[in-house]
Amino acid sequence: MLMQLTLGGLSQGMIYALIALSLTVVYRSTTVVNFGHGDFVMAGAFLSYVLVVLLGVAFVPAAVLAMAAMFVLGVMFNRGLIRPIRGGPHIGLALMCIAAGYLLRGIARMVWGREVLPMPPVFDMAPIFVGDLVITGDAVFIIGTVLVLLLIFFGLLAMTDLGKMVQAVYQSPRGARLIGLNVDRFNDFSWGIGAALGALGGILVAPVSLLHPDLGASFLIKGFAAMTLGGFGSLGGAVLGGVLLGVAEQYAGAYIDSALIEITAYVVIVAVLFIRPQGLFGRKAVVKV
Amino acid sequence: MPEPLLKIRDLHVGYGKKPILRGASYDVHPGECLTLLGANGSGKSTSLNAVCGFVTPTSGSVMLDGIETAGLPPHKIFAHGIAQVSQARDLFPDLSVEDNLRLGAMRRGGKQQAQTLSDIYERFPRLKERRRQATRTLSGGEQQMVAIGRALMSRPRLLLLDEPSGGLSPQFCEEIAQIIDRLKSEGVTLLMVEQNLNLAFRAADRFIVLRDGQVVDGGDVRAMAGDHDAIVRNIYL
Repeated sequence: MLMQLTLGGLSQGMIYALIALSLTVVYRSTTVVNFGHGDFVMAGAFLSYVLVVLLGVAFVPAAVLAMAAMFVLGVMFNRGLIRPIRGGPHIGLALMCIAAGYLLRGIARMVWGREVLPMPPVFDMAPIFVGDLVITGDAVFIIGTVLVLLLIFFGLLAMTDLGKMVQAVYQSPRGARLIGLNVDRFNDFSWGIGAALGALGGILVAPVSLLHPDLGASFLIKGFAAMTLGGFGSLGGAVLGGVLLGVAEQYAGAYIDSALIEITAYVVIVAVLFIRPQGLFGRKAVVKV
Repeated sequence: MPEPLLKIRDLHVGYGKKPILRGASYDVHPGECLTLLGANGSGKSTSLNAVCGFVTPTSGSVMLDGIETAGLPPHKIFAHGIAQVSQARDLFPDLSVEDNLRLGAMRRGGKQQAQTLSDIYERFPRLKERRRQATRTLSGGEQQMVAIGRALMSRPRLLLLDEPSGGLSPQFCEEIAQIIDRLKSEGVTLLMVEQNLNLAFRAADRFIVLRDGQVVDGGDVRAMAGDHDAIVRNIYL
C-alpha cells in the first residue's frame, strides 16, 4: 500500500511540481507572484480539451499547440498588462494577475457554464503489475513527461549560454542590463515559459480528472504550498516541494483521514512558515538595521 | 585636441519632480580618464546612469562618437560600446567567476570571447585561481576585479567606473589606480566617479566638479597637483 500511495503521490506531485516551477520562473525573473496562475493552468487544460475533443487533434500535438498558445498569452500578458504597471505598488501587480485569472475563468464559464467535462483517456495502456503495485499508464505518462521536461529545463539552465543569461537576469536584473541583456525581453520570455509550463500541468491533469472552469484555484494553492515548502524563489525547491506535497497528501489521506487530502497544502504552508520560513532551499532573509 | 568620444550637452535628468542634473555639459576625449567630483547628490552617479541608459534624460544630448544615445535603453547603449562598473558591482552572486566574466562578452563571438577571457586572467591572475568559485564567496576587492573584468570582456570604447574604491582597503585602492593606468595605456577611455580624491587625482587626467547638477569647475589634474584644497572647497563649500 505504501508503494502504491507513493506512486500516486509522485504522479500528483509531478503536476504540483510543474505548477510550482512555473510560478517560480515568473517570480524569480520579475518578483511578481502570479495569483492568476491557477487559471492559466485551467486555460491550458481547456485548450487541450478543445483541440482533442472538439477538433480531433491527437493529444501530443494538441498539448504542444496549447502550450505554444499559452506561451504567447503569457508574453502578451506581461507586455500588455504587467510591464506598464511594474513601477507601481506590488499590490497592483497582484490585483492585475487576479483580474486576468478571473477573466480567463469567466471566459471558460461563458463557454462551458459550470458543467464538468470529461477528457478521454490519453495513455490507454494496460496497467503494469509489480507485486502488489499497480502502475497505470497515466502515472507513467505524467511522471515520464514531467521528468523529461525537468531534465531539459534544468539542463538548459545549467549548461547553456542562454541558461546562464537567464540565471544572470534572475540574480541581478541591473547586472544583466550592465552586460547588454534586454531584461524586458527576458521577462517576457519568463512569463511565456511560466504560462506554458503551468498550462502543461493542466494538460497533464485533464485526462485523469474532470475539467471545470474553477479547477485552477486548488492548483494555485498547491503550487504556493510547494513553493513555500521548497523555498520561495528556488527552482529546484519548487520541484521537490511539489513532489513532497503530492506524496504527503496521499499519506495523510490514507493513514490519517481522507479529508486531509484537500487541506494538506494549507497545513504545509502554515507549518513551513512557522518552522522554517525559508523552506527547504530558500535563503534566510536578513534585514540589516 | 582630437574629437571627443563622448559629448554631453545641456543634460537634464530628474527623479520624479526632483531635478538632479540641471544642464550639465562636458566632453570625454579618447584615451583619457575623466573623473567627476562633487558632494553627495551633486549628480555624479546620475550622470553615469544617464550615459548608460539607466535613467532617461528629460532633455539634452549624449553623443558617443557622433551617435545620439540619450534615451536609448541600456542594452542598446551597451551595444554601442559603453560599459559600466557600478558602485554596487551588480555581479551574479551564485554564478562562478568565469561565468560572470563570460557573460560580459556574451554579445561577442566565441573566439574573441576566449581571447579576451585569457587577457582578463592575465590582468587579474587571482581571478584565474578562483575561476570556479561562486562570486559571492570572494572578497570585496576580488569582486571589484570581477566587475571590472566583466566590463572589459565587452571591449568597451568607454568604460564608466562608479566609485571603484568604494568599501575597499587602501592597498586595493592603489591596485585600482594601477588597473586604471594600464587601461589608459591600452587606449581605453574612462569616465569615473570617485569620492576618494587621492585615487581620483592619482588615476585621472582631467576632472570636473559638479554642484547641484551643473559643472562648476574642471581642468587638468596635473595643473592642480598640490592644490587639492581648492578643489575640496569648490566641492563642499
